Amino acid sequence: MQRILEPGQIEALASRSVPRLRLPDRSRVFAARAERLGALSRGHALQGYLELLATLAAAQHAALQSLEVTLPNESRRAAARHHGMPVIPALGEARSSAWRGVLDALRTAVAAGNYPPAVAAACERLATRSAEALDAQADRLLAVEVAVGDAAAAPLIMAALQVYWVAMAARLVADDVGVPESSGVCPVCGTLPVASIVRTGAPYAGYRYLHCALCATEWHRVRIECTQCSATTGVAYHSIEGGSAAIRAESCDSCHGYRKIFYQEHDPAVDAVADDVASIALDLLLTEAGFHRASGNPLLWQSPG
Amino acid sequence: MAQVTRREFLKVTGATLAGSSIALLGFTPEPAIAEVREFKLARATETRNTCPYCAVACGIVMYSLGDKAKNAKASIFHIEGDADHPVNRGTLCPKGASLIDFIHSPSRLQHPEYRPPGSSEWQAISWDDALDRIARLMKADRDANFVAKTADGLTVNRWLTTGMLAASASSNEVGYLTHKVMRSLGVLAFDNQARV
Repeated sequence: MQRILEPGQIEALASRSVPRLRLPDRSRVFAARAERLGALSRGHALQGYLELLATLAAAQHAALQSLEVTLPNESRRAAARHHGMPVIPALGEARSSAWRGVLDALRTAVAAGNYPPAVAAACERLATRSAEALDAQADRLLAVEVAVGDAAAAPLIMAALQVYWVAMAARLVADDVGVPESSGVCPVCGTLPVASIVRTGAPYAGYRYLHCALCATEWHRVRIECTQCSATTGVAYHSIEGGSAAIRAESCDSCHGYRKIFYQEHDPAVDAVADDVASIALDLLLTEAGFHRASGNPLLWQSPG
Repeated sequence: MAQVTRREFLKVTGATLAGSSIALLGFTPEPAIAEVREFKLARATETRNTCPYCAVACGIVMYSLGDKAKNAKASIFHIEGDADHPVNRGTLCPKGASLIDFIHSPSRLQHPEYRPPGSSEWQAISWDDALDRIARLMKADRDANFVAKTADGLTVNRWLTTGMLAASASSNEVGYLTHKVMRSLGVLAFDNQARV
């Protein structure tokens, strides 16, 4: 993308700094994702699953609008900021029971849809499980433990946790968030990113942001650098021949890992979580080529074994 | 159950998808697995570099297709300003913005050429021949014109009949080496990135 600068713009640009954070917008995160999933689902090999996720994202949007959350108090936030630690860590601190209220709303919305019986059965199982059991599985999912428990219910639990964390992250301002030692995890909640997006539109144009799988915060990361091991040589970009120019996998010859990178320039509506699931073909090809995924997708869980 | 590592757990294959939340929720991942056989992976690279034109030294990103590792000839298909670069923040001047044509120009000079005195024809020569010839002519000129002392006996050790214009897009280290080489020969007339 090239542009011609007018007189005066050069000085203005010189003093500009890269915006390091894009905190989530609670009015748009899940609404935009629901629209994107709906659009991606049409004619897709995973049409049914993407339609289910679209329903789920729409329910997340509705649940988020009425959710009230409390941020950690100012002294805790100041301590986190000072030490470059996550302000609202995904693990290690008590979660309010509000997230289970969100889960109830999500499973009710999903169970009402016209989906295979296994969807209603998974929702039924969630309805009958104790608060302790749900919290225990939530902890395992947030810690990305291999023993995920009920893998069919995992996307719903993770979706409820996303709503809870987005509600908190959306109330932060950039100055609340310290600068962590590693740019490999979310500075707000400490979760691994799902993918990265090269943004368009001032003031983010041309910068690459990693997208948090949990709180939807995006943080700046220099391009052409492995987001897992920080190597700057041997980084390659894989795409499907004849496929979308907006979707590539950024692989690393040092750690043999990859994460997808989306280019908003080629597709303005691209969504890190939605497009990652919809581009599962790229995952299958990268696995065949000998690369491993650096981190999973919050709405797609695999059963070990 | 065998011990499954986190890396294996995240691995996406036809087999793991068959046990994923897609299948467990009653959907069939098979069409998605089957269609992959029709697809081919294209490998591209993005490479940081510095615009070769002027001393501003703007950062650029060069996009190329082809796998260097597999002996295929890499081909650059797009160049743009590097948004992460502190000098130009993603912008380029009209000359920098047309770098791609500079690379693919049919008249691009790709080897040294020599036009003998009196001839109107350029001929290709090797780098060895070119460097030997430059060194020989430099030595002849320096031997003939080197000034060790001025008329009033002041030691100056200077060589004023040859100058050097060094590259613009150079690092500090190249600037340092340019100074060391040229100054030790006594050359005073030279210019390079270090002056900017």
